[in-house]
Amino acid sequence: MTTYLLRRLLLVIPTLFGITLLTFLLIRLAPGNAAMLKGGSGPNGGHAVTAEAREQTIKLYGLDENPFVAYGKWVGNLARLNFGQSFVDHRPVIDKIRERIGLSVSLAGTALVLSYVIAVPLGILAALRRGQPVDRAISVTVFFLYSIPVFVAALVLILFVAGGDYLNLLPMYGANSINASEMSWPAWVWDRIQHMILPVICLTYGSLASISRYSRASMLEVLGQDFLRTARAKGLSERRVIFVQALRNALIPIVTVFAMELPALIGGTIIIEYIFTLPGMGQLVFQSIEARDQFVIMGVVTISAVITLLGYLFADIVYVLVDPRIRYE
Amino acid sequence: MKSVIPMDETYAQRIWRLFKRDRFAFIGFCIVIVFFIVAALAPFLANDHAIVRVADGSVSFPVFRSLEPIEWRFLLYVPLAGLVYGFRGPLFLRVGRGLWIVAGVVLLIEFALFFHHSFNDVTNDRTLPAAFKLMPPIVYSPIETSPDQLVPPSWKHPCGTDSTGRDVAARLLHGARTSLAIGFISQSIALLVGVSVGGMAGYYRRWVDIVTCRFIEVMECFPTLLLILVVVSLCDAANNMIIIMVVIGLTGWTGVARLVRGEFLRLVGQPFPQAAQALGAGDLRIIVRHLLPNSLGPILVTATFGVASAILIESSLSFLGFGMQAPTPSWGDLLSEARKYIDFAWWLAFFPGAAILITIMSYNFVGEGLRDAVDPRLRVK
Amino acid sequence: MRSSFLSVENLGIEFGPRDNPVKAVDGVTFEMAAGETLAVVGESGSGKSVTALALTRLVAEPPGRYMSGEIFFQGQDVLKMPPSKLRALRGKQIAYIFQEPSSSLNPVFTIDYQIREAIELHRPDVRDVRGEIVRALETVGIRDAATRLGDYPHQLSGGMQQRVMIAMALACQPQLLVADEPTTALDVTIQKQIMDLLKDLKRTSNMAILLITHNFGLVSDFADRVVVMFRGKIVEQGPTAEVLRNPQHPYTRALIECVPKLGQKQHRLRTIDYAEID
Repeated sequence: MTTYLLRRLLLVIPTLFGITLLTFLLIRLAPGNAAMLKGGSGPNGGHAVTAEAREQTIKLYGLDENPFVAYGKWVGNLARLNFGQSFVDHRPVIDKIRERIGLSVSLAGTALVLSYVIAVPLGILAALRRGQPVDRAISVTVFFLYSIPVFVAALVLILFVAGGDYLNLLPMYGANSINASEMSWPAWVWDRIQHMILPVICLTYGSLASISRYSRASMLEVLGQDFLRTARAKGLSERRVIFVQALRNALIPIVTVFAMELPALIGGTIIIEYIFTLPGMGQLVFQSIEARDQFVIMGVVTISAVITLLGYLFADIVYVLVDPRIRYE
Repeated sequence: MKSVIPMDETYAQRIWRLFKRDRFAFIGFCIVIVFFIVAALAPFLANDHAIVRVADGSVSFPVFRSLEPIEWRFLLYVPLAGLVYGFRGPLFLRVGRGLWIVAGVVLLIEFALFFHHSFNDVTNDRTLPAAFKLMPPIVYSPIETSPDQLVPPSWKHPCGTDSTGRDVAARLLHGARTSLAIGFISQSIALLVGVSVGGMAGYYRRWVDIVTCRFIEVMECFPTLLLILVVVSLCDAANNMIIIMVVIGLTGWTGVARLVRGEFLRLVGQPFPQAAQALGAGDLRIIVRHLLPNSLGPILVTATFGVASAILIESSLSFLGFGMQAPTPSWGDLLSEARKYIDFAWWLAFFPGAAILITIMSYNFVGEGLRDAVDPRLRVK
Repeated sequence: MRSSFLSVENLGIEFGPRDNPVKAVDGVTFEMAAGETLAVVGESGSGKSVTALALTRLVAEPPGRYMSGEIFFQGQDVLKMPPSKLRALRGKQIAYIFQEPSSSLNPVFTIDYQIREAIELHRPDVRDVRGEIVRALETVGIRDAATRLGDYPHQLSGGMQQRVMIAMALACQPQLLVADEPTTALDVTIQKQIMDLLKDLKRTSNMAILLITHNFGLVSDFADRVVVMFRGKIVEQGPTAEVLRNPQHPYTRALIECVPKLGQKQHRLRTIDYAEID
């Protein structure tokens, strides 16, 4: 097991290298930056750039230097979490990210957990009742949900459930109501929950299809295995055969696949934070894109990629811990 | 006694037969075809220029003057694709020759289109007198503003109008074009890149494979939408259809690459590629004429889901304001407007939303149907 | 007179579409006495495994169908038992070992857990479960059993896995052990070890053993009686020595002749000519 883990950890390095390289290339090859280098304070995408910003950009990204040296500097900066300062308010990028990342992570995390909690039992149920109406019903429903684009669902939900002519159950935007700071702690929590219900729903329903289908397939494969026959021959109740012997095997691949959902979720938070006006990392990067606030953009992109990478790593580690066949080689 | 000798059918025929049995998939397929036809014929379905006009003793076809290059492309390339498919046997007998011929025709069309200049003709034929005129079913052009702003659906405007008085139905029909064009072309790019990269990794293995796998891993770490947004804004390419198509294509090829790599690794172990090599076939020929056709099934499945995903991404981009903007009709753009007026202008959200939903669902149905038809584990009937 | 230990009468089990079924077991009738060793011999597809599984109604009911017949085990009508009684029968009175030990053990549980499951279910009043498990493992010839309790199936060799299966089956002291081709998936040398183990068990306990095999060679110095099956039907049965000496049915004869004999000069191994039999 330790050799497997060591090898897996070592594999992180080239991928990290690749991520930094890709972001570096993005910066260097961006037409705006190249123009900036040549054309003084020329327009960066239609916005005039202050001399100060130009100086900063060139310095941080090493645009005027040899690419290899510049890359080295870039990696060095990354290691120290120095992403520069925002053009918009001159605060360090890392601070801006730090204060918003919590919301996005909790949003994505809740959605991930919720989608698993709903989809895995559905998939297993479908496997146990294979071919019957329940199986088909689950399949059709999840498929239908998966086809609905996020912003359509969000708009429909807002239209019917949040502010508007119909029901007005839930708030339409923001992570907390305006008078949130005056609330007592439990009230604050409830207020936050109310604000997050719709965003979480929007982020969750899309993943239900893939997770439930994967669970179903995994369970079906386990149900055909010989050792279940042995279990029955031992006299175990059918319930124990399925929910202890079979399930334990079926859950292994299911659990390790969660990392696959991460990139989609992180991308999804952008749209959702936009629609529901949530002050998270997605909204930050979106605003920064609109404002051409390059350092923030690159910071968020790099951090998102690293989070995803860590997610994959974590999934592989979980896999090793959970499957005895790998653990004791 | 009933004969039980199986009919000889090609791989493609078998897939089609199995595909047809799935009713949902077949319906989805029909809807996809309908959308294609609508998109291609959009200028004939919603336009303020007449299709035929007889006036002052002469017959004219005003609609053709209003065609933009992209509309010409739709009208020309779709039948061209049909011809290439129909004659694929003789055309691609020698792979190189076929590619040259197709490239030549495409270059010819693009060259001709280069000389096209749009007639910015704001006269609309609704009001012009004529002895006879045949107007399209919806008599508004998608970009024509009017004082009837935010009007709910009515006889005059079946889907209502938006905040500048443009007819939503017209924008819906023409928007299909945008979505489909971006969806298909970006996926073609993704297919091209993915098949090449994955194919090389699967065929040549060893270090090519290792490097490719690392590269794919790196690309997959970046959330797609974020990456596209960043690149599009860095290139300052909002509303630039070509760059959007290229970017979506260049970020979406990893799935295809993985798949093709897996298929090739599996196929290369079988005897027939070796046999071809022994007969003197070069690498390219083996890949294109032997390995690729055997991997076609799963590739098609991935491609279908890819088109749905690309349409979704394009709509998301337009929704966020970084895709195709007004006046170019786009479903995503319609929805972003809908958000502003969500309180009362339900039609702005409903019709484009329904259109996107139906389109994506249809592609997903087709993809699912294809996946089942291609699955080798289904019993041979 | 019907045996009071195990009696199978006119058993019929079929698979496939109802209008054109495959009769895997067709009118099978045989008996076993307590403590006896019975071998059921036949080739693949003869219905021997299905018959064995049927004894505790282990044949999955879709796709299989119990069409006819009765099975009586120690006076109990197996095919009419309620599920709870069936579960008390399985493992406690009739235990199984199967052909592929590597896939017959659950890969994610230790062998300690799997044997413990059986003991805790059928012998709840045992206090030293761990001791029982170690004893069972040592009985089947696994040395240093106590240290191997935490092992997972994949850490053991094929022979050891099969021994664990046997230990698991024996842990509840069943009256009948059904061994469905226990050695087919193992190396020849390991085969001998397992068969020797089974012979030891036969000698030291009064457990009845039902051995399913396609190899007549295993039968001669192991089974008291033998039943020969072909295409779902029994074609011959009787005491082993008699059947071997004087096979009545052409299929039996063919099967016996297939076994290569030491000292016999053969240019080619004999195969079975089905046309002869029909």
